[in-house]
Amino acid sequence: MKNLSLFLALAGLAVGASAAPAPAAKAGKLATVDAVKAAEARQSEFYERVEIPTPAGEVTEVSSIALLPGKKVAIGTRRGDIWVAEGAYDADLSKVKWTKFATNQHEPLGMFWKDGSMYAMQRPEFSRLTDKDGDGRADSFDSVCSKWGVSGDYHEYAFGSEPDKEGNVWMVLCLTGSFHAHSPWRGWAARITPEGKFIPTASGIRSPGGIGANAKGDMFYTDNQGVWNGSSSLKWLRPGSFQGNPTGNKSAALANFPAPPEPTSGSRILAERLKFPEFVPPAVILPHGRVGNSPSGIACDLTKGKFGPWAEQMLIGEQTASQVQRINLEFVNGLYQGAVFHFLGGFEAGLIPVRMDQEDGTLFIGGSNRGWGSRGSKPFTFERVRFKGKVPFEMHDISARHDGFEVTFTHPVDAAAAADVKNYALDTFTYIYQSSYGSPEVDQTTPTVKSATVSADGLKVRLVVDGLVRGHIHHLALSDIKSKSGDSLWHSEGWYTLNEIPAK
Amino acid sequence: MEALPLMRTSSLLALLASLVFVTAAEDGAQVYNSLCVACHGPDGKGLNGLPPLVGSEWPKGPAARSIKIVLNGLTGPIDVAGKTYAIDMPPQGAVLSDEKIAAVLTYVRKNFANGAGAVTADEVKAVRAATAKRATPWTAEELLKAHPFPPSKSPLKHLVATVYEGSWKEMPDFSKLKPVLMEDFNVGIIDPAQSGRKDAFAVVWTAQFEASEEGKYLFTFDCDDFGALYVGGERIAEVKGIGPAGKRAKEVPVMLKKGLTPLRVEYVEFAGNEVVVLAVKGPKDKAPRALSNTKLKVVKEKVFIPIQPKDGVAAIYRNFIDNTSPRAIGIGFPNGLNIAYSADNLAAELFWNGKFMDGGHHWTDRGAGNEPPAGTNIVKLSDGQGVQLEGSAGNVVRFAREKQGSEWVFSPVNVAAEFKGYDLDKAGNPTFRSAGEGFALSDAWLPEEASGKASLTRTLKVTGDKPVVVVLSRGLAVSGPTDGVAELAGGLLVRSVSGPAPKANANDKTLTVTLKPGETAVLGYSYR
Repeated sequence: MKNLSLFLALAGLAVGASAAPAPAAKAGKLATVDAVKAAEARQSEFYERVEIPTPAGEVTEVSSIALLPGKKVAIGTRRGDIWVAEGAYDADLSKVKWTKFATNQHEPLGMFWKDGSMYAMQRPEFSRLTDKDGDGRADSFDSVCSKWGVSGDYHEYAFGSEPDKEGNVWMVLCLTGSFHAHSPWRGWAARITPEGKFIPTASGIRSPGGIGANAKGDMFYTDNQGVWNGSSSLKWLRPGSFQGNPTGNKSAALANFPAPPEPTSGSRILAERLKFPEFVPPAVILPHGRVGNSPSGIACDLTKGKFGPWAEQMLIGEQTASQVQRINLEFVNGLYQGAVFHFLGGFEAGLIPVRMDQEDGTLFIGGSNRGWGSRGSKPFTFERVRFKGKVPFEMHDISARHDGFEVTFTHPVDAAAAADVKNYALDTFTYIYQSSYGSPEVDQTTPTVKSATVSADGLKVRLVVDGLVRGHIHHLALSDIKSKSGDSLWHSEGWYTLNEIPAK
Repeated sequence: MEALPLMRTSSLLALLASLVFVTAAEDGAQVYNSLCVACHGPDGKGLNGLPPLVGSEWPKGPAARSIKIVLNGLTGPIDVAGKTYAIDMPPQGAVLSDEKIAAVLTYVRKNFANGAGAVTADEVKAVRAATAKRATPWTAEELLKAHPFPPSKSPLKHLVATVYEGSWKEMPDFSKLKPVLMEDFNVGIIDPAQSGRKDAFAVVWTAQFEASEEGKYLFTFDCDDFGALYVGGERIAEVKGIGPAGKRAKEVPVMLKKGLTPLRVEYVEFAGNEVVVLAVKGPKDKAPRALSNTKLKVVKEKVFIPIQPKDGVAAIYRNFIDNTSPRAIGIGFPNGLNIAYSADNLAAELFWNGKFMDGGHHWTDRGAGNEPPAGTNIVKLSDGQGVQLEGSAGNVVRFAREKQGSEWVFSPVNVAAEFKGYDLDKAGNPTFRSAGEGFALSDAWLPEEASGKASLTRTLKVTGDKPVVVVLSRGLAVSGPTDGVAELAGGLLVRSVSGPAPKANANDKTLTVTLKPGETAVLGYSYR
């Protein structure tokens, strides 16, 4: 006891007896591309983004959003709770009132309200939840359909749509661990009829993040970069189609379907889809790391201008970047294609569902970053975005022509700058279509913009391009283009997936 | 051109080199900020509970370890800076060129790994070629075997082992024993093998523990069979009796001043395994450091989220429950009895008492895998279809799977009935519904308290046009039924309250009840 520099604090504490959950990481400052940062800074000129307070003390990792009559909004959470909010549309959000509708369901990813019941696509089943005694809580839980396989693997997600015109609900079934098909119908899209009949509808799916229809009612889903997906993309679920990933092909025999394509790894999507007519290529590729890393929920703007001038465009949630991207689609030679633009950003967590109130023009968004990182640093969020009425100066859409593109702007352009070909930089690339994880950008080309002709109303610029490449993503970057009133562009880039070059 | 010959070659080369370096650095930052940032964060500290690069040993040292992770990805668990992460990193080898991987790793090592050296494209190329056949992500264990972390300097100075021979079941008085060996070890690591003996021996290690600064030092001590730890002359921890290392570990914080403090370990090996675990976590350490050859097992911070009945209302759990089917529905009743009903098999498959479920597993991280019931006395009632027709498989088609070799094979199968859902009463008590061609079955559960004993009353009701066989248990030993009570292995009693009585069938080891259309069977479940 010579060296008495010792004090006993506590004795005999058992190992591992402490341990409260670690607090969520603090918000990090982001070293993003400066342009994206600058654009996010301008967002509040055009859009109001606000967080809706979630039930106090509850972990509400939002995985689904449903709109109810009487301006009520429901959220489903990854833990499986379903909550209904009153007052989520109001100016004073401090008075939002939450009622718990259901407890500990199984990770609903897609909910809607119909005929007095909540419908939820859950991991093991498509369910109808009804509050028969009117106490605000569901008491009847009907299993509408559960014909697909579930093995207990955490990645075997099931995403569901709102009903289509026939009343069918579409679902996309993630692969086992996102690499395998260890249970029936993994890697397939299916329709569920109102009677609960299960109709496998498309094969070739990898790891979906959301599902939703366009204005015409055709169904789309987002699929994430990985095996057979060089990049993430928005894909069209044409009935009978193959979406590119052959892992789940073996389920076809369960319904006596013809065997889906067995494509060649290391090829290109264009080459393989020309071999296999049922192979529908991605409608719009969302270049990995440039546009986002992990697309999720889908909404179509049918607000007739209440959300801005994006009539019938698709809005896509983005888990990693905590953003919403905007897509214009067109139909060329039997396939969908179009352009993606950066749009809204700065959300508080990784985004999962996006739901547009088409009457009101309010976009509801929710998410969580549990298990998958995101730029937004909160563990979960529920938010609302509204158009403030000032239309940003943007590329409204890019449309393909036989010899180039036509770019439509939201405001008339300054004709002198817009007619200068030097202000349009165009480059193209594609990805290797392969069984390994992702792909580098390959086969790069640099087409020449030969002329830029401004329309009489100043809203359109017709670009004549030398060197369009069928099957490639065409990246159009604008510089020094101003509106007639001198505004600069909110976002200056677009990525157009040119599946087909239109005829003259 | 005239100026060029005047420029010294070396400075021109330096200029060129700096240009190349700037390009590589910018490229690395760009790759990092488009691909890695989502999980590792802009500052390398890890976003939202994902593994950091800063403060981690992983990006330091041999570049090959990091290159392998980027090329083929990594599948958890992995210990990073003192925490265990059950997480997968996707492979980037098919996305990034050798040059880009070199650039991004150079960026990471320069900015987040204390200036660990740059990585060249040639190094990446060589590792890519050497691991070309590797198709799956790496595990942390594999990587550390091939590329271990550097050994750190032990704070145990002047470590001396004194060895005694003898067979003890409790701590002897070492002052009265005669040592057989006394050895000075310069390794600074305590290892029972230093005794050169197996079974029936004891070792006393003495050393000076060097505290690099003043503050709290957390010592962890454990052994097989028993021993004691002294710091500064005080006995701060003791593991008593004969037994294995693991559950008896002691963790004790001690305040130390900077400098040397005497440390003593007394260790007795009776028979079997020889293990001493000694670790210390200093005031600035992110993780405990091993002072013994057996390393402290890093215990993952387990988050316990109890799911329990509340205010007299039953609790429900629909995530994956272990030892039943994926479509199981757990119900925890307020009287402390719990069931898991399989919606795949239309059967109550698990019965247990005590705690209902722990949500900490499925509700943190990605929630991979099944969660067992949190309680006790788990009885696995049955496997396979719980509703059957007499003399017919039924005509409801389900898609089944079966593993043949490494492949899962799918097939349509005919079963008698399928799940139709459930209703919950005000107290959360469920009535499960199923139906097949021409019949429907309802299966209601209510908690009861009969003469101070918790029980569940199960009411089975069949409507339609054919008799239905409900399997109450399968594969369990059944005694009885005697006086209407059958006892299942595990001590679960099934009592016939009213209606058709259950029958035990020794041939297929089942307990079943057959209900004709319109019949109702009421059963009581309780532990003996």
